[in-house]
Amino acid sequence: MAKFSRKKLLGAVVPLVAAGPLARVAFAETDRSATHEGHDQTHAPVGHAAMIGGEAPSIERNPAIDALLTPPPALPHEPGRVRDYTLVARDHDIEVAQGVTFPAWTYNGTAPGPVIRATEDDILRVRFVNEGEHPHTIHFHGIHPANMDGVFEIIPKGGEFTYEFPARPWGMQLYHCHSTPLKKHVHKGLYGAFIIDPPKPRKPAQELVMVLNGFDTDGDGSNNFYGANGPAFYYARYPIRVSRSQTVRIYVANLTEFDLINSFHLHGDFFRYYRTGRDEVVDYTDTIMLCQGERGIIEIDFHNTGKFMFHAHQSEFTELGWMGFFDVVE
Amino acid sequence: MTEIAARMSGAWRLWALVPIVALVAMVSLFATTGGSLIDLLGRTPPPADAFDVRRVEFKPGEIKVRVTNPQPEDLTIAVVTVDDAIVPFSIDGDQTLERLRSSTIVIPYAWVADEPILIGITSSSGIETTHEVAAAVETSEPSAKGFLGFGLVGLFVGVIPVALGLLWLPSLRRARPEWLAAFMALTAGLLAFLALEALSEAFALQAALPSALGGAGIVLLGVVVSYLTLTYLSHKLAALATLVAIGIGLHNFGEGLAIGTSFAFGELALGTFLIIGFMVHNVTEGLGIATATTEERRASYARLGLLVLIAGGPTILGTWTGGYVRSDALGVVFFAAAAGAAFEVVVEVGRWLRTRAPGGLTSGWVLGGFLGGVTIMYVTGLLAG
Repeated sequence: MAKFSRKKLLGAVVPLVAAGPLARVAFAETDRSATHEGHDQTHAPVGHAAMIGGEAPSIERNPAIDALLTPPPALPHEPGRVRDYTLVARDHDIEVAQGVTFPAWTYNGTAPGPVIRATEDDILRVRFVNEGEHPHTIHFHGIHPANMDGVFEIIPKGGEFTYEFPARPWGMQLYHCHSTPLKKHVHKGLYGAFIIDPPKPRKPAQELVMVLNGFDTDGDGSNNFYGANGPAFYYARYPIRVSRSQTVRIYVANLTEFDLINSFHLHGDFFRYYRTGRDEVVDYTDTIMLCQGERGIIEIDFHNTGKFMFHAHQSEFTELGWMGFFDVVE
Repeated sequence: MTEIAARMSGAWRLWALVPIVALVAMVSLFATTGGSLIDLLGRTPPPADAFDVRRVEFKPGEIKVRVTNPQPEDLTIAVVTVDDAIVPFSIDGDQTLERLRSSTIVIPYAWVADEPILIGITSSSGIETTHEVAAAVETSEPSAKGFLGFGLVGLFVGVIPVALGLLWLPSLRRARPEWLAAFMALTAGLLAFLALEALSEAFALQAALPSALGGAGIVLLGVVVSYLTLTYLSHKLAALATLVAIGIGLHNFGEGLAIGTSFAFGELALGTFLIIGFMVHNVTEGLGIATATTEERRASYARLGLLVLIAGGPTILGTWTGGYVRSDALGVVFFAAAAGAAFEVVVEVGRWLRTRAPGGLTSGWVLGGFLGGVTIMYVTGLLAG
């Protein structure tokens, strides 16, 4: 009832002074009871304790999402070898947060799409089938001919196209749809990680992929949910088990739409960061900042066992789903 | 009347049922096959999937949000956010709400007193409904102290001013007929002011109601019912002073409702000045009743007390109701009723003036009085914020 929200009166000299003192007694009483502070915290778990394991509001365990976390194995350098992949664009309703369905556009049914991996100098051959309602493409980051760029050859509904080019340069790359409106095609879910291994193999490690993304479920141009590899709080509900004795290597890419930057922050330890997955260590840190489309490789040698949180250091993203836990065991 | 004619009239009475029977048949036909007709028109847009937030309560370590589904399609509560952060919650009631069904979302939350807070409820289709609370203030529980507090607020802004205004009665009795007419016109002016104010408040509240509760017609319904009821009463039993008191009383119930609600939900800084403002504003209501009472040769103290109770007492009931039950629908009904009653009493007073005022309705005393009434209400209304 907005009528009475207006405040402040110009002091007017008024009669009826006799009622004043009595009135003050009455209102002081009511006043105090209504501005009582509300801080007691004794009931259900709150804070991060309410955001781990079964308490975390995420979706049921989904093998398709789990498959995105682990990349296919790296193959030794063998120039000219053909690596075949098939990507099918499909309109598909996915659960992006507990109980929330999003009408996504996907490559192979998930957002992000599958991890594509090749070794430098492999011939990458990606057959693309468009089963969606809209025209789509695949635009790979890397070095390739102009007609394989996913910009000019728009694949209509029901159409098909095969992208074929040598995989280079080695590093952490990514792919996404480049149809217009670009913002719509990207945030609807058409993107994924693209790993090109160097000719000289990387040291063995426990390898993980995290594509950072967000979902604007109500179409207002800002994300309602954030996550890594899709659903909000997925790795909070199902912590990622790693062992302390071996390096953890994370191929990380930021494909969040609308928000200009995203980040990755690790609790309780530091890591080496290789920008775009190249050789030079850029940083020894616990927080990296990623622009839209920026990506790299994180290598962690955990010092301790236990549960360590990781999340965006944008608190808003964290509390809208982009957080999880490593369960570090011996 | 011949026998045939009588039978004919019976047949016509039956015939009057035919459109109703036909309508029922058509409705059931459409309900079973109407889908194909809709198909001819193409796809209908998806539902808005927005919740209607009815009430937000702040308890120590807890926020309770009452939500209603205002649309024909089912609506499911999926995710709840506070200040753009997803929070754990439980639901007292169903998670999937049918049309006009409500549930209460219980959120364990260490809210910060006096700070703004944004509640978000996302449906299973991903549509987020947000509700901003200007300042988080602990919701008052029904307690003896609070009850007394609300009662006293009602007493000070409703009952006492009206009683004080009635003290003008002896002076008015000795006034010349011109002056009495002027004061009667003043009463009409202040009632016209109250009627317009109540009407505007009713429309404002109605606009915020879910569309399932109907449009602006509900306001007209309230106005007409109370107007006609008072018209009936005025011709049956009630004296003019009683009518004026009823009109003012209904308005004061609405006023009390608004004060109680705003206060209970932290939207109102109920300072001393505001109370004084209401008191000055409402003293003029007492003057109006006093003027109408000059009609009665003798008015016993009991009679005067009754008038004070009818006009001022509802303020207390209103603050209690508003303080513990937040219902904008109730607000619409009472403000609409108040508007109707006040309009009716303006008409009654107009009738009185036409026959009794020296110089009739167009005399300077009457015109000046009416203008004075509206002006006084406007100026003292500024005091009440």
